Amino acid sequence: MSAEDPNPAATPTPCEDTQGDGRWMSLHNRFVSDSKDKEPDVLFVGDSLIQLMHQFGIWRQLFSPLHALNFGVGGDATQHVLWRLTNGELDNISPKVVVLWVGTNNHGHTPEQICGGIMAIIQVIKNKLPHAHTLVLGLLPRGKNPNPLRERNAEVNKLVQEAVSSLAHASFLNVDPGFVHSNCTISHQDMYDYLHLTPKGYQAVCEPLHAHLTSMLDKPAEN
Amino acid sequence: MSGDEVNPAAVAQPVEDVHGDGRWISQHTRFVQECKDAEPDVLFVGDSMIQLMQQYEVWRELFSPLHALNFGIGGDTTCNVLWRLQNGELENIRPKVVVLWVGTNNYEHTAEQVAGGILAIVELLISCLPKAKIVVLGLLPRGEHPNPLREKNAAVNGFLRSWLPRLGQAQLLDVSGEFVHSGGAISQQDMFDFLHLTLSGYRNVSKPLSDLLLQILEDTPEERRASLV
Ligand SMILES: [Ca+2]
Repeated sequence: MSAEDPNPAATPTPCEDTQGDGRWMSLHNRFVSDSKDKEPDVLFVGDSLIQLMHQFGIWRQLFSPLHALNFGVGGDATQHVLWRLTNGELDNISPKVVVLWVGTNNHGHTPEQICGGIMAIIQVIKNKLPHAHTLVLGLLPRGKNPNPLRERNAEVNKLVQEAVSSLAHASFLNVDPGFVHSNCTISHQDMYDYLHLTPKGYQAVCEPLHAHLTSMLDKPAEN
Repeated sequence: MSGDEVNPAAVAQPVEDVHGDGRWISQHTRFVQECKDAEPDVLFVGDSMIQLMQQYEVWRELFSPLHALNFGIGGDTTCNVLWRLQNGELENIRPKVVVLWVGTNNYEHTAEQVAGGILAIVELLISCLPKAKIVVLGLLPRGEHPNPLREKNAAVNGFLRSWLPRLGQAQLLDVSGEFVHSGGAISQQDMFDFLHLTLSGYRNVSKPLSDLLLQILEDTPEERRASLV
């Protein structure tokens, strides 16, 4: 990639309404209007892995008590989250922590591009919410058996972890409790379709995440 | 629809692994294996609406106790379900009832084609499981506000309502009226992304479905004989 080539993963892009029911824009508008009468301490932003977390008991149990909002949209890639965050979703709130989990849907993008997309999102958050800390969750492995997307996601994690290490306002958290078994397979007990988490899979991810968030929120605010 | 044209929604087709992680065929292969290990009385087949049901409490509360298997795959169209059922997902099992819920992902097809695709699946089920009853769930409205896909899904239900009674063993359960509020909006309390159901949305669907399934299972002759012995 030459320096002049724009990175598609880092170019804010609204999701095209190919199906014709306007659901993506409805969700975005809903998030913008929801944020006007909420004062969240934690904001969760990302794709279906964030969105679906909101549907299970674990959310009410662990994250509602932290005053968390959930801005997850199924199918979103980094460029879609980037568009949403630059178009109103951060304008009315001042969370202390933003949990960012996106990138596994960036089909056709290289690990470097996806990392660039995630870094661009971190920068937008920094611009809009100068006092917030962004916690980037590592992409999970996917597919029942070893496959190129598992390798791609692992490579993204390596790049992102390295890139955020020099930033004071962002950190990386690997939330994979070991979903890949010794025979290299992923169980449908953890990921029902070998991508999306079951309630059991969410529990394994969310308990350490909750502990991490709690310790972050307990620390006095750094300015 | 004239008789000599092939309905594209009734052509069996596997999902192409465009993303390269093989998830669709992995799920199909697991379902075929489950057929060898389980003896379900009720089989659920369809897209994400079926699949996600299994992730909520309603499944354990209402459907697991009926000895149910769930063969739902997110994104599936009638073509994909047809392919799966023709390629092993009906082998070695004799469910008394099959619950079919698919069609909202058939973006390239007209309402009449989608209904024809559903009918083709029902006909396949009847030919493979001549004693089973088939419950077809009506397609739900979608999108926060009125839009063409809502009208299309309602039209699919209209075709099914007139066609399914011809097949004695099949019936339509249409709970689509529960979801559109006055003013035409769908609530996120029922559909978190204006398509997929929340737990509370599933409760609206599951109660009438579970009542119907219990009634069908009770009316099944073998059951009655068994209970008399
Ligand atoms: Ca850091």
